[in-house]
This record gives sequence, C-alpha cells and structure tokens, in this order.
Amino acid sequence: MSTTNTSKLLTPELLSQLERLELVTRKVFRGRMKGERRSKRKGQSVEFADFRNYVAGDDLRLLDWNLYARLDKLIIKLFLEEEDLHFYTLIDSSLSMDFGSPTKLEYAKQLAAALGFVGLIRTDRVRIETLSQGVGERGPILRGRHSVWRMLEHLNAIQPDTITAEKGPTPLAEGVKNFCLRNAGKGIVVLISDLMDKAGYEQALRYFVSHQVDCFVIHVLSQEELEPDVQGDLKLVDCEDQDEAEITASAPLINRYKQTLNAFVAGAQEFCTKRGMHYILANNQMPVQELVAQHLRRRGLVR
Amino acid sequence: MDSLFRNTLSPVSWILLGMIPPAIFALYFLKLKRQPLEVPSTYLWHRVLEDLHVNSLWQRLRKSLLLLLQLLMVALAMLALLRPGWQGQSLEGQQFIFLLDNSASMSATDTQSEAKRLDVAKGRIAALIDQLESDMSAMIITFAEQPDVVQEFTNNKRLLREALERIEPSAGQTALRGALELADGFANPDRVMNEEGDQSFEVTEQQDVELYIFSDGRFPSIEDFSLGNLRPQFLPIGSFAAQNLAITAFNTRRNEERPELQQAFVQVANFSEQEQKAIVELTLDKRLLDAAELTIPPNGIASATFNLAGENEGALRAQLDIPAEFKDCLALDNEAYAILNQRSDGQVLLVTPGNTTLQAALATERVNRLAKIETVNPDVLKTAEFLAKAQTELYDLIIYDQCVPRMMPQANTLFVGRMPPLPDWQQQARAEPVDAPQIIDWVRGHPLLNLLELGNVQIADSLLARPPLGGRMLIDSTQGPLFAIAPRDRYEDAVLGFEIVGTEADGSRTFNTDWPRKHSFPGFWLNVIEYFAGGQSASLVHNRPDRMMEIRVDGQASNLEVEMPDGTRQLVALEQPGRLSYHETGQLGVYQVREAGQVKKRFAVNLFGREESDIRLRARQETEKSLKTVDSLSIGYIDVAAQSPTAAVRRELWKPLLAGALVVLMIEWYIYNRRVYI
Repeated sequence: MSTTNTSKLLTPELLSQLERLELVTRKVFRGRMKGERRSKRKGQSVEFADFRNYVAGDDLRLLDWNLYARLDKLIIKLFLEEEDLHFYTLIDSSLSMDFGSPTKLEYAKQLAAALGFVGLIRTDRVRIETLSQGVGERGPILRGRHSVWRMLEHLNAIQPDTITAEKGPTPLAEGVKNFCLRNAGKGIVVLISDLMDKAGYEQALRYFVSHQVDCFVIHVLSQEELEPDVQGDLKLVDCEDQDEAEITASAPLINRYKQTLNAFVAGAQEFCTKRGMHYILANNQMPVQELVAQHLRRRGLVR
Repeated sequence: MDSLFRNTLSPVSWILLGMIPPAIFALYFLKLKRQPLEVPSTYLWHRVLEDLHVNSLWQRLRKSLLLLLQLLMVALAMLALLRPGWQGQSLEGQQFIFLLDNSASMSATDTQSEAKRLDVAKGRIAALIDQLESDMSAMIITFAEQPDVVQEFTNNKRLLREALERIEPSAGQTALRGALELADGFANPDRVMNEEGDQSFEVTEQQDVELYIFSDGRFPSIEDFSLGNLRPQFLPIGSFAAQNLAITAFNTRRNEERPELQQAFVQVANFSEQEQKAIVELTLDKRLLDAAELTIPPNGIASATFNLAGENEGALRAQLDIPAEFKDCLALDNEAYAILNQRSDGQVLLVTPGNTTLQAALATERVNRLAKIETVNPDVLKTAEFLAKAQTELYDLIIYDQCVPRMMPQANTLFVGRMPPLPDWQQQARAEPVDAPQIIDWVRGHPLLNLLELGNVQIADSLLARPPLGGRMLIDSTQGPLFAIAPRDRYEDAVLGFEIVGTEADGSRTFNTDWPRKHSFPGFWLNVIEYFAGGQSASLVHNRPDRMMEIRVDGQASNLEVEMPDGTRQLVALEQPGRLSYHETGQLGVYQVREAGQVKKRFAVNLFGREESDIRLRARQETEKSLKTVDSLSIGYIDVAAQSPTAAVRRELWKPLLAGALVVLMIEWYIYNRRVYI
C-alpha cells in the first residue's frame, strides 16, 4: 500500500477503513474474467448450483463420483461461477463542479478514488471516466490492487473543462450518452455530478435506465449552494454560459431559494427512485470517509 | 412668534438641504450597478426569480427599503430644523438672570404633582434654558438668607443645567434684596472714570437684562432700589390654597410667679381658612414629656405652655402632630427645637471696695434670674489668676466700682466713678470732677435707661464721661455728660461719671448721690444686667438658619467640635479663645458644641418665620374673591406684575423628531447589515 500513502485523494485512515469494504450490487451480472463475484454463469467455485447429465466434452473433473457410485450415471455437478464486477465511475468535470471548498470536483475525485479502491482490492474491473470525454476516448481499465497507483494518476489528471469558443460546455445528457456508447458492459455505474444543467438531468438519467446498469447518482452540492451567503444587490454570473441573474438579497429571497433547492433535490430523488436508481445527496463539507462508511453503506453500494 | 414652525436656517441652507433627497435618489440609482458574483450555476436562481416576479410590487418596495428609510430620516431632520412647537412665548433679549428663591417656603409641596415648589421652578427654568439661542447668555442666582451665584453668565446650556441641578432647598428666609443687588452688579456695570479726563464711560455696552424672578412672593416690597437695565418678570410658584400649620415660636422661660420653675412655650399658627386641631408633642432628648391639643382658629395662632418641673438640661423638641385630613404643605416648620438650661447664663463680676447699696441693687430676684453675680475686692485685680480669667470671656459684664483695671478685660464693662484705662476715654475726659451737675436730659429710648426717671437725682460731684468717637452720650447734665457708652471691639464700655458711694479725703465713706433712694436705682441696675448679660444669653439659645452664630464657650480650647442635627461632626477652629463663630447653620435642629467629647454648649436653629410658613401666594387685595390674582412685587417704585403661574413655555418638538431620525438611522443600519434576514 506504500504507493498510495502519499496521495491526497486517499488518506491512510480512509484506506484502512476501505480495506474492509466491498462493492455490492443487487443485480447479478455476467463478468468478463474470473473474479470474486457470483456470476450468472456456472463455473468453478465452492458454491453448488445444480446437477446435470454428462455430455461428451464436459470436463471430467466436474463429474460427481459419489453419484456415479450410487446411480451408475455420469452426473456433472455444477457450481456457480465467480466473476469480476464492472464498476464504472462517471465524474462530471464541468466548470460548475470547480466551486466550493474543497471544490466539488475535488470531492468527486476523492469519492471516486475511495470507491475505485474498494473495487480494486476486490479485484473488480474499475473504470473512471468523465462526462466531457468524447465517444472515442476511453478511460483505462483497472483491475487489482496494484492498479491503485494508476487509478490515482488518472484521477489527478482530471481537470475542470475549459470552455472555448468552438466547444461549449458538454450537456449532461450528451456526456452520459457518450459514456453509454463507450461502455456496453453491465455493472455498477456511479454518476458524481451536481446535476446543474439548464436542459435538465432527466434525459441524461434515462440513458442509464435503458442501459440496464445498477446506477448510483451521487449529487454533490457545495455549502455555498445549500446555504447561500449573499448580501446586497448582486449580479450573479453563471460560470459556464455567462448567464446573468440580478438579485437583491433579502430574507424572502433566500427562503425562496432554499425552497427551490429543496424542490430540485426532492425532484431528482423522486426521479431516481422511480426508475430504480439510487440517489444520494452529498455536501462537500461532509468527509468522504463518512459518506462512504455511512451513507453509501446504508444505500447498499458498499458492504 | 407663536407660529407652529420657526425657521432656523437661511434660504441658502434650505436650498442645500433641499438637494439632499434628490442626491439620495441619485446615489441610490447609481448604487444599483450590481456587484457581479460568479456562481456555479444560475439555474436555481432563475427559478427563484421567476417565482418572485409574481408579487413584484412588494418586492420592489422591499428592495428600496433603505431608500425609503433614508428619505424618512432626512424628512425628520428637516422637520426638526423647522422647530415645530406650540403654545408659548419665546425668549426675547440677549441676557437673562434667573433669580430662584430657595428659601424654606419653596420646600412646600402644594403643586399638583406633590413636587416641591423649588423643583417646579427648576423645571421651568430648565425649559427657559432650553429656549436660549446660541447668542443668548444667562446666569442663575439663588436667594434665601444669602444670595448665591450658582452660575455666572454663560451661553453654555449644559453648564446652566448642571448648575440648576445643584440647587438645593434651604431653610433660610427670603431676602430678595441681596439677590437683586447682585443681579444689579452684573447687569448695570459701574461707570469707570477716565483718569485723564473727567469723562465717564461704561465698562461694557449697556444692555437690557431680562430678570426672571421665581418665587412664591413671600417677602415685603423692596424700596430704594433702582432696577436700571434689569427688566424684571415675576413668575410666582405655588397656589392660593396651600395650607400649613407651623410652630412659630418655641422657647423656655421661668415662671413669673415661681422663678425656680421652667416652662416651655409653644406657639402654633394656622395658615388656612378652616379651624384646625393639632397635637403638640414635647420631647426632651427623645423622651416624651407632654402633649397638648390645640385648636387654632383660621389664620390665627394658639399657644400652649408646658411645665418642666424637675427636668434637667437637654434638647427640647416640639413636634406638631397634624391630623391626616389636613394637607400640610410645608413639613419644615412642624418641628421646633429649644435648649433647656437650668443655670442662668450671665456671669457678672462686681469689683468693689464695698458698696452695700449697689450690692443690694444687684441682689434682687430678677437680677439673679438673669445672671450670676460675683463680688470681689479690687485687690484681686492684680492677681495673675484673675487676669487670665478676664481675658477668656468668662464674664459678660465686669462692673468696676471705684477702681480701674490695668488693662481692659475681654468683657463688657461698666465703670463707676472712674475712667477706663483707654486713651480714647482719657483724652476726652477732664481729670477734675465737676461739682453738683444737674441732670437735664437722658436718652429714654436706650435700653440701659429704659423706663427710668432721673430728673430728681442729686449728684455731689462727677467726672465728665465724654465718649470717644463712635460712642454715645446717655445722660447729659448742666456740666456735661455723666453717663456714656462706647463700643470696643465687640464689647461695650459704659462709664458712669459719678460715684455712688464716695470716699472722703479722711477715708470715711459717704454717699455721693441720693440716687439709691430713688425708684430708678434698682431699675437702672436691672437694665444694666439685662442689657449686658441677660438679653445676650436669651438670643444665644435661638438662631435662624443660615445666619452666623456666635457662642461664648468656657475654657481655653482652640478647636471645638460641632455636631450638627444630622449627626455629622465638624471641627471648628476658634479665632479667639472663648468665642466660637459658626455659620454652617443650614439645618434645623439642635447643634452641640463639644470639647474633648463633652457637650459644652447647645444651640437650636429654628425656622420661626411667619412669612416663610405662610406659604399661600399673596392675593391682590382689590380684586374679587372669586378671581384671585397674585399680588405684584414692588421693587423700588416699580410694580412687577406676576405672570400667569401657568404660562407655559414653548413646547418644542425637535428633540423627539431628532430622536426619531436617530432611531430610523439605526433601523437602516440594522437592515443594511442584516437585511438578509428581513
């Protein structure tokens, strides 16, 4: 574990806590390689699944010799195969994520690192991507404990998007669509985003529904968004599209904002719940450790 | 000047002030250049603003709350500058003198709010001070027994108010004259003679000075006084209906028939229109001795006499127990104090080689009641012990019969047949006696010769007693003055030119005059004792508040302790041995003079003034009963009409307005800082 000790994304305390965890999914997927997950496939493990008659070509090692002795029939004993789990983390790296202290993006990266670490030590197949990646760009596939360093390197390389004249901000829906096109495999998808898209988040999340993945939406909001501390007459400028909103801060305005925010959060939660997705609201002030150990555990992402 | 508004600013100032509200508007709209603030997303904010547009009018009002508050504050300030006020006169003039009566009667509580008259007067002076413009100056003088300049001319209102606060009620009597003279001194500066020419010019510019007299008017008119530049206004304080019961006299004396018996005499006056009953309680050193119920006719007096048989010395206190239904407005005069003294105070020394007629005349009962007579031989005069005694004011009077001391004693003296050893007397007197002078006139009005008929007195020979400067000739004869009196320091020396018993050349004694056979002889000696020794001791017992007290004390102590009625003690240095001058007699009650813890003397200070106790305002005589008006003051030959006692001063509104503006400012500040929560 010496390779991760120096990383600011994963602290030793967090690592020792994460070592005991594993990723969980309620759905059983078919993996690609031998792993530690129970798979739909029959194969080799200690867990008995079924019997069937021997047909030519079957592995003789699988014959149940005890049954043969009793019944004088060749019966093959089937076991459940244990395979790896596909674990995808999709990070929203839009400019709006570059706010707060720590920034929401930083927070998202920490969270991704923690979950990725959990996956790696359980030999799951971990892939971390961002929303702004094109259809062709793929993130590295990580597997095994030795890949932690690579994962952290990859995470550190993720920077907030730069907005240029020809390339505006990537809409949430487009990013998710690209992701789904890139990764056909089934597994767990964790979307870490602030869901602040003027076009709405609904379209984006619908892609996950059709994609048949076990989807977790971690909605990261900064303290400034939850409890805005604004005073006086202000012109609010949107950092992504330079949209302006003129406000005069007053108690009713702040109250109204909070109401709107609550409605927004409640709406997102309801949308996810209805579609079998998990919605978790995260505040950037809450330590990642606490989020993983308590909230995600309760929601069943880790065990 | 009774208008609702009073302008305080010039047009230019108003124009400048009028520019403030547009400036606020302008600044407010300039301020609306909003500060940009980058946020992650305006997504939620837009939704918020859409919601809020529904009730936008209220929102807009709320947005400009600060603007409205600023405009309100400026409006309040402008209104305050207009000085709205109503119902009142304004002060006219440049200089003001407030004469405030703080005599005993001003402690009466006959006002509506049960406050003392003095406090009411102070309140009205404070209201006048508030009206002073910045170029007006004022001073405050209080007057009771003595006038006191509480605050000299100043235009600093704070100083004036502080001075006003310091004024305390006193127990003294009203003496307006001194205050007027003091005010006159400030208002009418003397003309100063130019040394080179004979021109006179004024030290300062002559200005009219407004003189406000706040008093209850209980003092006689003042004559021989020129007001000069003073323009008096009399503002009476008090009411016609004020009732008061007062002890106007309280003393002890010996019973005429039984001189060994002491009596206390109390006189109670009723200053109201109804007959009143009251109980007089007499206590000696806090022990109740006696009580008597008195029925006092309206505007009359009643008296009670208490026998003090078998009582020792002590402080007597008479207290008036007034029935509850009677509203006694002045509490100061419901108590009186007196000193009970068994021994007679007067000490008289008779120095004579032997004079039976004189000794007989001084041995009468009435003389003994007044003074203790000690007779010594002239030989004693030379002893050191006597010389020391003579210098300590032990004696009230020393009678030198046919003898002369080497030096004058610290006492009143009466020389019989000799001239005092003083150059003044010696210069005037002829050394040789004159023969058979015939008395032709004597000063009948002088207390020493009171009720005496001297025309029939025959005299063989006499020295001529010509008094020095300042003295007075009392008996004149065909040959010259026979009896004269002259002051010496604070004593008096009387000289009777002729001996009563003379000594012939052969040493035998013979009568020089037939006066001892006349009725006037014992009468004269009684007068002598009463004048020199008796009367003084009676006056020592009672004193008026705030007047200086002179007490004779025995012994050589240079420091004495005086305990005041409230228990505070004061160390007083004696200027001369045997004589205590004390002037801190502001409190009513019994003062004790102590030497080394021992009570040496007591004296009582009482109000005893009909004018002070009669606290009703003086009504003008000629008007009808139903329409009482306050009598005017008469100063010099000018009648100062009383202003209406309820004449209100202008009530100004600018203070609450400014306070309101301040409150608005604070609200604005609060909202500005905490507007997020409003």
